[in-house]
Amino acid sequence: MASTTMPMEHAHSEEAHLREQHLMLDPRPRGEMNAMIMEAMHYTTWKFWVVAAILGAIVLVGLFGSWGYMIAEGLGVAGVNRPVFWGIFLVNTVFWIGISHAGTFISAILRVFKSEFRRPFTRAAELMTTFGLVQAGFSIFMHMGRVWLSYWLFPYPNQRQLWPNFHSPLSWDLLAITTYLLASTMYLFLPLIPDLAMARDRTAGGWRKNFYKVLALGFRGTEGEWTHLRNAMNIFAFAIIPVMFSVHTIVSWDFAVATRPGWNSTIFGPYFVIGALHSGMGAVIMVLAVVRATMKNMKYFIRPEHFDAIGKLMLIISMGWAYFFFNDYMVQWYGGDKWTEALLHWHEAGPMGWMWFLMLIVNVAIPWLVLWNKRWRSNPWIVFVVGLLINVGMYLERYIIIPISLTINRMPFTWRMYEPGIEIPLSIGTLAFFILLYMIASKLIPLVPVWEVQEGQMAHSMKKFGRETVVTVSELE
Amino acid sequence: MSKKISRRDFLKLAGMGAATGAALTGCGPASRYVVREPYTQMPEYTFNGQSTYFATTCRECPAGCGLVVRTYQGRALKTEGNPAHPVNQGKTCARGQATLHGLYNPDRVTDPVSQSTRGSRDFSDMDWDAAVQVVADALSNTEPAAIAFLLGPAPDHLFDLVSDLTGAIGAPAPVRYGALSMFEARATLIQATESMLGESRLPVFDLANAGVTFSFGANFLETWLSPVAYTRGYSRMRKQEKRGYLVQFEPRMSQTAAKADEWIPLKSGTEGMVALAIGRLSAEVRGAALPRAFVDVDVAGVAEESGVPVETLLHLAELLAGAERPLAIPGGAALSHINGMATGEAVLALNAMAGNFGQPGGVFLSPVPPNVDEYHHPASLQEMGAFVEQMKAGDIQVLLVHGVNPLFELPNALGFEDAMKSVPLVISFATFPDETALQSDYIFPDHHGLESWGYQRIAAGTDRSTLSGAQPVVVPFYNTRATADVLLAAFAEVGGELAAALPFADEVAFMQDKLLPLVENKDANFNAAEINTFFAYFQQLGGWWGNQIAFTAPAQNTLNNAMTVAAPEFEGEGEFVLLPFVSPVLAESGANKPWLQEVPDPTTTVMWNSWVEINPDVGHELGIENDDVVRIVSEAGAVEVSVYLYPAIRPDTIAIPFGQGHTAYGRYAEGRGVNPLDLLGLKFNEAGDLAYASMRVRIEKTGRKRELARLESKIGVYGEGLGEEH
Amino acid sequence: MKPIDLNEMGAIGAIAQEAEGKWGMVIDQDLCTGCQACVAACSMENNIAFVGEEDASYGRSLQWIRIERFWEGEYPEVKMTPFQPMLCQHCHNAPCEPVCPVFAAVHSPAEDLNLQVYNRCVGTRYCANNCPYQVRVFNWRDYERPEPLNNQFNPDVTVRRRGIMEKCTFCLQRIHRAEDLAKAEGREVRDGEFTTACAQACPADAIIFGRLDDPESRVNQLSKPDRGYQMLEELGTVPRITYFKEG
Repeated sequence: MASTTMPMEHAHSEEAHLREQHLMLDPRPRGEMNAMIMEAMHYTTWKFWVVAAILGAIVLVGLFGSWGYMIAEGLGVAGVNRPVFWGIFLVNTVFWIGISHAGTFISAILRVFKSEFRRPFTRAAELMTTFGLVQAGFSIFMHMGRVWLSYWLFPYPNQRQLWPNFHSPLSWDLLAITTYLLASTMYLFLPLIPDLAMARDRTAGGWRKNFYKVLALGFRGTEGEWTHLRNAMNIFAFAIIPVMFSVHTIVSWDFAVATRPGWNSTIFGPYFVIGALHSGMGAVIMVLAVVRATMKNMKYFIRPEHFDAIGKLMLIISMGWAYFFFNDYMVQWYGGDKWTEALLHWHEAGPMGWMWFLMLIVNVAIPWLVLWNKRWRSNPWIVFVVGLLINVGMYLERYIIIPISLTINRMPFTWRMYEPGIEIPLSIGTLAFFILLYMIASKLIPLVPVWEVQEGQMAHSMKKFGRETVVTVSELE
Repeated sequence: MSKKISRRDFLKLAGMGAATGAALTGCGPASRYVVREPYTQMPEYTFNGQSTYFATTCRECPAGCGLVVRTYQGRALKTEGNPAHPVNQGKTCARGQATLHGLYNPDRVTDPVSQSTRGSRDFSDMDWDAAVQVVADALSNTEPAAIAFLLGPAPDHLFDLVSDLTGAIGAPAPVRYGALSMFEARATLIQATESMLGESRLPVFDLANAGVTFSFGANFLETWLSPVAYTRGYSRMRKQEKRGYLVQFEPRMSQTAAKADEWIPLKSGTEGMVALAIGRLSAEVRGAALPRAFVDVDVAGVAEESGVPVETLLHLAELLAGAERPLAIPGGAALSHINGMATGEAVLALNAMAGNFGQPGGVFLSPVPPNVDEYHHPASLQEMGAFVEQMKAGDIQVLLVHGVNPLFELPNALGFEDAMKSVPLVISFATFPDETALQSDYIFPDHHGLESWGYQRIAAGTDRSTLSGAQPVVVPFYNTRATADVLLAAFAEVGGELAAALPFADEVAFMQDKLLPLVENKDANFNAAEINTFFAYFQQLGGWWGNQIAFTAPAQNTLNNAMTVAAPEFEGEGEFVLLPFVSPVLAESGANKPWLQEVPDPTTTVMWNSWVEINPDVGHELGIENDDVVRIVSEAGAVEVSVYLYPAIRPDTIAIPFGQGHTAYGRYAEGRGVNPLDLLGLKFNEAGDLAYASMRVRIEKTGRKRELARLESKIGVYGEGLGEEH
Repeated sequence: MKPIDLNEMGAIGAIAQEAEGKWGMVIDQDLCTGCQACVAACSMENNIAFVGEEDASYGRSLQWIRIERFWEGEYPEVKMTPFQPMLCQHCHNAPCEPVCPVFAAVHSPAEDLNLQVYNRCVGTRYCANNCPYQVRVFNWRDYERPEPLNNQFNPDVTVRRRGIMEKCTFCLQRIHRAEDLAKAEGREVRDGEFTTACAQACPADAIIFGRLDDPESRVNQLSKPDRGYQMLEELGTVPRITYFKEG
């Protein structure tokens, strides 16, 4: 590991500018940086507790209270009916799986492609994956009519030798989501080990010490440990990418393999993957904006350059989403099947047509209009709003695909609209639970992978060639 | 069967006949002497895993369809049609299927009760001895002329018993009434038949063999006379080598009109003139001599009055003239109008012209039911009006009501409720706490129809003389008692000479006495050497019917008298003519059965409520949308009801189904929907039927909305929300 | 059914053989008067719950058979389309079956019927989504049947609780009863020996149920190639119900 840090005394105004802009070129001593992270974890204001208490109450009442009530009463308290047998619960499932996508995408893809700007926010993104999947899991179980028998979905040895039906996309789903949850949790955990060790070494005592001690698995930072860690992370980073693609593709198959107008589309797989990235990216940028604004010392780690970089990604993904949307729409429309035609007409001209137009505006028009501008996309709050709108848009997209499309089938005598009931508190409950988990995590584990930042900073250097300042990055491994 | 029948006898009887793959049993719980026992101590006739089937007669309407009820361990599980029964031949309607929801309804009257004040619902239980004493006192302490029995159209054995009873004590004969006969305008139909066919009986229309059928408002697929029998006729009519053709004339497309090949939406009350005009044109088309009857018809005038264009009339006339076996059926609202008699005659004249009296696919007179000399038709509304007048005048001291719910089934305008206040003692024998029962001093609940003995003479719907038999298929579920038994017991209590007039231990003994003339009749589905065996067969087979087709062919009518039908007259003010129609699913007594409430109406698919049908164009003009609550106001009253924009109704007509709007009658009926009878006036036609389709009404918006529960999709069926109506 | 040898009959023949089936139904829309007797009969036979006005108006009624009708034209030339009873079509290639994760929607190889195993159902409702005929109904709640209405329950049919999908079974309990009887008597079930509750009630005889694999059966004798069609046959579900058009 070669240290190529520039001597500070030759600081030049251009260099200062670069340093201010780029975290990788703005190194601080390791001890100081570690202390900053520890402080961010420990520094808790009363506002935090108030928000956490409110969210906790919402989770208790909105999520667990309402769910218990629904289990006792039956799904009649929700808005599902015939023909809209699937409602917001599955919208939420798809939405949260989508959110969980971006975490791994950012982390793994960018890691594989060695994009340096990823370093300070991979952890925040990976946490999103895990916590998003938790909500997706809740939502899918809420959806079940007899959730108390949900263990029947798992292949387990039983006296009657009954197995789940592996022909069913729901069985594929279950396997895919479980695999993804396990893999992404491990993938979250591996890069966390050195930071946990750092936190262990900087914690004097109490339950936190024990907490970190256990979780750090005795990591001491030896050369051998680092080698093993790097190997493991490499393997996971590569392996998790196909898993990630498969999960959302399989989720899309829940719809695509069904004999329903509008669903039975071959492009749903990639369309869902890009849709998931679209909403996930929006969610990452929202999380980063909030973390940067509310947590101590985070302005150092998360800088406009990161928003700028993610903003570019968002713009590209928005274009990709538009491409797939158009492709899907075009082929369906051109097919001329009368039921599909009725469905497309219902999407645009039905009573919920506003959703369809709003979706296109917030998913395509607004990102395209805003994100082309570097100044705008570097502004955390502007991209926060764009990310929020994209998430609204992607929620609407799923809402249109599930309950609105289910209104239209091949039996017009049964067409009926969907009006959500207890789904609303339950949805709010899952959202609150997601935020609450995040808040708790921010107080327990370093939200910024500090060792990765330090590693990156070590790899970066500025050299002068004549009057030009050139940034160089050296290969570390 | 006045002696206790042994189990060995029972088994012997049970083995005698087998139908529908399972033995139809003669006795079982039907035996008067089997008591309810715990399941651990089951009676012999029940076997674990085996069902027992009992034949009986459906009491949901007076048509008298034969049922076979599947019972299992003493519980009735399912009603099926009796395949051998001449009325329904194994089939049932929705109401017959749901009859079990009446039997096991949670809101039945479980014990004999007295009510502290009428309408208070403050009941105190009595025992049956006390109840019998109340009836006995009423019968013995009242001037016979001041005792009035008001009975429903079923069952006939009770009617016979009460007739004998009133005859014995010198009281007025029992009055029978049912809302269905009002909607069918039965009195008018019978009188028109008498005038055209020469006999005062119900006509039978051989739909099954008809080539082209013109139905003038007869909704024979719904509730008219004998709907299951006529539906079978319809089905056969369609299945003929050359598919039968059906044209329906009525202002609103009913379920029957929906099945017609052509629906002619004529103005309410002009059916008769249209029939005459078609008759004249048809005679002209055929080039035959114009019968005297049609000479005075002004075709252009009819077209103007009825709203049916001359071309359409001509097309229909050609259709009729070219038909192999034409048939014309008068019925329903058409007959009730002020010109109803003339309408009935005019429609029957079309048959006379076709010469189809007594011909296949033509008109017959219904067979004479056994053990009765004449057809006791239910009271017309005018007769009911006279009855009410008697009550008001204080001529009636004791009113005994069974099998009918006059407070629901009579128009408010008739004032039955008020008149009841002038009757010092009202005893109801209702199974359910219906409106009338709640305005009575006592309720002495009869068994449910499936727990009852009885017989029903078939007035329409069979081709042979039929006496449909009823027997209990389960032991009575509650502490109820057969009204016939209560009356016999009361009579015995009164004692003396009167008791000797009706010396029967119970209603079964009375029935057997009435069946005696049939015992040795060889030309029937069974006969026996003596009454006990006869009665066992009677129970087992579900009734007695002749082997021969017993239609009477009326004499041909030469149509020598000129006929005219006057223009209909309408009462009151308002833009719209109200057409009340019987809900095909609920009819007059189905509203207390939850499954019938949830069975969608055949034409609108509405469940659990009332609606008013308005032409969509009129709705748009008035700014009225689906599910808007509107106030329908007539001279006689007003109701508030949700709107159904019905595409197949004349713009000048609105229609409300009859069947809901109960203020009592159990949790599933009470407070649900409206009763269109509240809007009717008191205009009678010559035959005494109420001109119920001649009331003008106006519509007032209330600004409220109440969604109707429809099975259909408003989006898929009407294009609602798709930005286009189709 | 004997195994299909493609060499013998070719693919089209195989489809034809597959299309034969065991139990089937013929519904003549010319005869159906929309009277709803089948709806009531089915509910009575199969312990179907009633849901009340509010749920009924929200598309939650539980009838296994419904009668559809549409409108054509405008007043006064308006016509009601022929009544069309819709019930489970008992497809040979049923889209509901493969999507159930727990084998609650399964095919009976012996009877060639679609079964719904109530006590296995966990309520994912995928089968109902995937049913092109929309004939599956879901128990959104525990619908109350107050005492003593429960006395009417048919002991041959399971009473379903909340969270369970249900649908027409072609009165499987009756099929089994007839088969047991036939087996005891050492013979095959005869056509017309029993029938479903809906066909039994139908006053117009518009619904005929019987054996498809018996060329002499009533359903086969009735077949009118010029009038018969199957619901959404283009989907290749091979339904077991044939409808006859009006006229």
